[in-house]
Amino acid sequence: MDGLLGTTQQALQLLLTGNPELWTIVGVSFSVSLKAIIYTTPVALVLAFVLAYLDFPGNRLLLSVFNSLLSVPTVVVGLLLYLLLSRQGPFGDLKLLFTQTAMVVAQMILCFPILVALGHAAMQAADQRAWETARTLGAPPWYAMLTVLYEVRFALITAVLTGFGRIISEVGASMMVGGNIMGFTRNITTAIALETSKGEFVQGVALGLVLLLLAFLLNFLLGYFQGKGKLLA
Amino acid sequence: MSAPLITFRNLDKWYGAQQVLEQVKLSLYSGQCILLAGENGSGKTTLLKILAGLETPTRAEVEYADTTQPWKTAVRRYRREVIYLHQTPYLFNGTVASNVAYGLRFTGLNREQQQQALARGLVWANLTEQAKRPAHTLSGGIRQRVAFTRAWVLSPKILLLDEPIANMDDASRKQTCDLLGRMKSEGMSIVITSHDAQPFETLADVRFQLENNQLRPCELHSTARESV
Repeated sequence: MDGLLGTTQQALQLLLTGNPELWTIVGVSFSVSLKAIIYTTPVALVLAFVLAYLDFPGNRLLLSVFNSLLSVPTVVVGLLLYLLLSRQGPFGDLKLLFTQTAMVVAQMILCFPILVALGHAAMQAADQRAWETARTLGAPPWYAMLTVLYEVRFALITAVLTGFGRIISEVGASMMVGGNIMGFTRNITTAIALETSKGEFVQGVALGLVLLLLAFLLNFLLGYFQGKGKLLA
Repeated sequence: MSAPLITFRNLDKWYGAQQVLEQVKLSLYSGQCILLAGENGSGKTTLLKILAGLETPTRAEVEYADTTQPWKTAVRRYRREVIYLHQTPYLFNGTVASNVAYGLRFTGLNREQQQQALARGLVWANLTEQAKRPAHTLSGGIRQRVAFTRAWVLSPKILLLDEPIANMDDASRKQTCDLLGRMKSEGMSIVITSHDAQPFETLADVRFQLENNQLRPCELHSTARESV
């Protein structure tokens, strides 16, 4: 018990004194995950809209694929991407393995199905009259789509926050394609895994506290936006 | 009677193996109000949505601007002239003013002209004092007025209303009928679906019954047969 308390105290000290190594790791985590979510969100939400509002052959199959991909293990994505990006792989010439770009791509693959599935659910729950009203008032299809997205914005923000929570806390894919290189591709989760394996718990606990704080913040925001959505329904 | 604004012919609609509209023919005239009656599930809403371009018919021909074309080709040309209002109007998140102004941005008017049109609309429906109220706080009657104003500012030639007075109290019914009367007198062609013909007796010029998938004229006024 003393050990845990002592470690936590040291971890807090490490955080509060602005340890550069630790904050570099936090910075890599946020930089990679924010890029992944920003690049993925527009495409995923448009696809979610297409799946929710257009009836075309294969619509249900595509949706089932994305629903299945929700639970794909992160290490499997990491392994697949590793094979594609390794020197012998088809994209080996791009020399992306063990770079932040590879981590961003891995996290994009992980959050894409979440955004499509949750975005689709939000848009299916949206009132069909929103689309029809926008169209009958002269809105072109793309503007009517933006109108529907705006009408369900709180549910969509919830989807984005859920996707962000998934990728910033994943370890498998980042470890495999990032390589856990200090100052470059070492993020919060890969650093915790490394420090724990070395028996150095202080930095691990400090980074764990950052993740926990983020989890609380995300949950608070999720609750807030879900409540907002209900209020306006 | 002058030439019709638009005529729909040979309009069929099938949902899978079930036919809901068969060989419907309907002409809409400027300044005319058509009352469309029929039982629940008779296809009234489907017909209105097809006329509005919101639903696709299985087959239809449209005579518009002196040319007869398949529905799919014609709808691109006439869509801007038609506005459909739901039974319970949908108001977007925002204020009364932002709802009324929604369609103005697609009209080609500049910002100042849009503001002027918005102000005219708010005055027309006596909504100026409500302009900044959030739409989700409005009562049913005012929501309906906002929806009418949102359509009126766009000056459509044809207005399609699905059960506009269902679930309304007498005062709101009267207000709605008054607004519709004003729109009709401005030359709009109005099509109303309603179970209850009585509130529209003075407004409607023609009455049709949708029965067994077909549109039949009823004896509301002597002009009924002219529109078929």
